[in-house]
Amino acid sequence: MTSASLDLYHKWSSEPLRQRPKISVIIPAYNEAIRIVPTIGAIAAHVSSFDEPWELIVADDGSTDDTVDLVEGLELPNLLLLRAKQNGGKGKAVRRGVSEARGDIILFADADQSTPIEQFDDLEQQICAGADVAVGSRSASGADVKNKSFMRNVFSKGLSFAVRGLLRLPVTDTQCGFKMFTADAAANLFSLQIIDDFSFDLELLFLAKKQGLRVAEVPVSWTDAPGSKVSAGKVALEFVRDLALIRLNNWRGVYDQENHTLSPQRIRSWETASPEPNPEPSRATI
Amino acid sequence: MIISTERTESDGTATVTLEGRFDAHETADFRRVQDELEADGFETIIVNMTQVEFVDSTALAELVRGMKRARERGGDLILADLSNPVRVILELTRLDSAFQIV
Repeated sequence: MTSASLDLYHKWSSEPLRQRPKISVIIPAYNEAIRIVPTIGAIAAHVSSFDEPWELIVADDGSTDDTVDLVEGLELPNLLLLRAKQNGGKGKAVRRGVSEARGDIILFADADQSTPIEQFDDLEQQICAGADVAVGSRSASGADVKNKSFMRNVFSKGLSFAVRGLLRLPVTDTQCGFKMFTADAAANLFSLQIIDDFSFDLELLFLAKKQGLRVAEVPVSWTDAPGSKVSAGKVALEFVRDLALIRLNNWRGVYDQENHTLSPQRIRSWETASPEPNPEPSRATI
Repeated sequence: MIISTERTESDGTATVTLEGRFDAHETADFRRVQDELEADGFETIIVNMTQVEFVDSTALAELVRGMKRARERGGDLILADLSNPVRVILELTRLDSAFQIV
């Protein structure tokens, strides 16, 4: 990176965009006070260097620590902070972010920088080559995985096997928190997607397959970031439950667009309304 | 992360070059290197960060701790040749004014 790149960051961090962003980056955040600012810094330094208009969206998920105050205190003009009064799950936070995103390309990236933002370039290349969705993958050939615990490896392999068997997805790693979408694909998928917790990625990829979207799996560098809040065992159990739920939803026609009542505009309206009570029209049909 | 050191005996300065991701997984190694350099009489440590892609909060805290300890001993911990991500992270955390940066 050059001083010119640093100048681009300083411009981004001091001047509001005068045009619609080309790129939207969404960080879902739940109690990320210890990590969120360095992550924002790394993302801002890299994406600003493209010299394209871009926006950063931090979708807080009801954090009870200082996450919101820290992000707000940065006073970055092109950072949109979405607040939530209560914790609703990573899937819900990302969905709220997507509903506000204005870019032609939308990336969501975990707050721990476990997949470095530099991997953006490889995913974007796939989108530019015609993919609707590009997913970071820790298991695709060429991936570089560091510090992944033994138990996490075991769960990952087991779940990957289950995903291939039950949903027949053409992706070996559904859960990497680094995924990119065209704006159209994001609007489409997130209008149908209803799972709020960690399995939402799985549902997105199932929906992408169901709709015949082009999905590219991109090997990435990945580090098991210290301080992960993910309980592998708990997530694995939820994951298996949600695998069955997705199959059931599909069988009942929940994901058929003609039966679906949600639109991106509708998501926007109820996500920004008072969270009490939380209307989930699709869940009511399950 | 890769840590390499270069010692300049004449002025009591050591340069520690970091490469890769500097996070909580790596702080123990960094502290060990600083301990060794201090034990060998190097008061001022220059940390070259040209090749550092990311610094997390724990690593930032370790750098601050190292800087305070060096200053208590009459030396300093100086950050040098920052990569852009590291520079931006230091700016956002407002630690850029705490360190001597060259």
